[in-house]
Amino acid sequence: MKEKDAYIEYEPQQLIMYVEKEDGTFGPIQTGSFISKNYLDDFWEKMLKLRKSLLEKLKNNEITSVYFYKIIHDFNDVELARRAGIPVYKVKKHQKVKSFKNIRLSDLQKYAYAFDVPVSNLFQAVVVEDNENRAETELDKQPIIVKQIKTDNPNLVITKIEVNKK
Amino acid sequence: MIIESFNHKMAAHCESGTLTALIKHKGLEIKEPMIFGLGSGLYFGYLSRTPNLSFPMFILRTKPGKLRKKLAKRTDIKFKTQRFKDQEKAEVELDRLIGEDVPVACQVDFYYMDYIPQWERVHANIHFITIVGKEGDEYIVSDSYYPKLARIHKDNLRKARFAGGYLAPKGFMYYIESVPESIDYKKLIPVAIKNTINNMIGVQPPFIGVRGIRTFAKKLQGWPNLTRDIDHLSHEVMKINVFLEDQGTGGGGFRFLYATFLRQASEILNNKDLDEMSKKMMEIGDGWRNISYFAAKIGKNRDLGSEKLQELGQLLNERADAEAKFYNELKVVVNNI
Repeated sequence: MKEKDAYIEYEPQQLIMYVEKEDGTFGPIQTGSFISKNYLDDFWEKMLKLRKSLLEKLKNNEITSVYFYKIIHDFNDVELARRAGIPVYKVKKHQKVKSFKNIRLSDLQKYAYAFDVPVSNLFQAVVVEDNENRAETELDKQPIIVKQIKTDNPNLVITKIEVNKK
Repeated sequence: MIIESFNHKMAAHCESGTLTALIKHKGLEIKEPMIFGLGSGLYFGYLSRTPNLSFPMFILRTKPGKLRKKLAKRTDIKFKTQRFKDQEKAEVELDRLIGEDVPVACQVDFYYMDYIPQWERVHANIHFITIVGKEGDEYIVSDSYYPKLARIHKDNLRKARFAGGYLAPKGFMYYIESVPESIDYKKLIPVAIKNTINNMIGVQPPFIGVRGIRTFAKKLQGWPNLTRDIDHLSHEVMKINVFLEDQGTGGGGFRFLYATFLRQASEILNNKDLDEMSKKMMEIGDGWRNISYFAAKIGKNRDLGSEKLQELGQLLNERADAEAKFYNELKVVVNNI
């Protein structure tokens, strides 16, 4: 790859590319990400669409929150089982609406850890309407900020809603 | 405190970048492509039956950790490695080492590196960072994929070091105990190149090496049957670009990095044939870059009918042909060194 063809102006995501420099030597340059610069909007659009369609199914009681987060995190059953420390057969069971109502709190805590969310988020979706159609790249521009603060109680999280003063 | 003598620099790839930085910190001057080449890092594998993967994927470098193991075996660089069951002990040991001014490489789940833009962060237990200090509850991180030193909260680092799942890090960390005064490049370069040739065109399972590229071309045609909808297919096809260019490869699926290694090797061995091979490898990398652009374009346009996937498969088969020819030529060159 020629050096002149490798430069991409995209400050948020920098990477190192090895190129043939103008003097014929090979070496590294720091440049921007091609795909993020050109296609990031498409990525967020797809993610937003996926989230919305899963949330709709969750609202209609067609799927469980374990399934919802499994898809969002791009895990399969085996990977989720290993990350949460729950047997695969149970993971399969917990994705069925019928079985979810009998789930143990200890298993919910394990899922919450694997999904990196508070336990309470397995029973609620925090939605801010004004923020809904914004890409995650615009987080600091959102009018409302939702912060979830961990406490020493593994089952309790403080959800703080603030107006963005920026 | 921060280990002031540590020089943070971005690198093409996290594992070779971490190794390079640690070796340099210990006083041995070496460049990233040489680390990658000497560790025979170049590879290809199409993984469709790994039980932990939610979708088939391809890999372009050897298994995480192999680079370091091969370097340790081939050179006199002494690494001290540790794994932990107890998270507390892992943190205490890390703190002790950085307290003694020893930069420590840690294997982590990339997802928890919250200084990295959110769209880049995926669950992958194969990322390497170097911890170079601690202030309060935050560790100071040198990450090859981030332009400056970053900070990570100790709770997040702990989660990252002890994430479960495929290739779970289990608190794995290492540092360098000693480096030799010099490396016998003339002896090691041919050995390392032969190893790479064997990985790519030697007797390997059909999903590895050049045969693996052909398997990928073939299996790609069945991807529409594995996806939820057109958006999911588009996402997976566009990930081809990410794997080839963005996920720490130095561009062209590590081929540009390997070309640079061959160039450096040709200079050390004063071998014009190797220099020619480095140019050819650069061209091969250009072909991989074309594939990544093509995949991004058809993914974005949702132009993912069988004709386009066949076209993508054809481009992959062309890379397989070019690489098969290349490694056979390289075999002759290296046998004459």
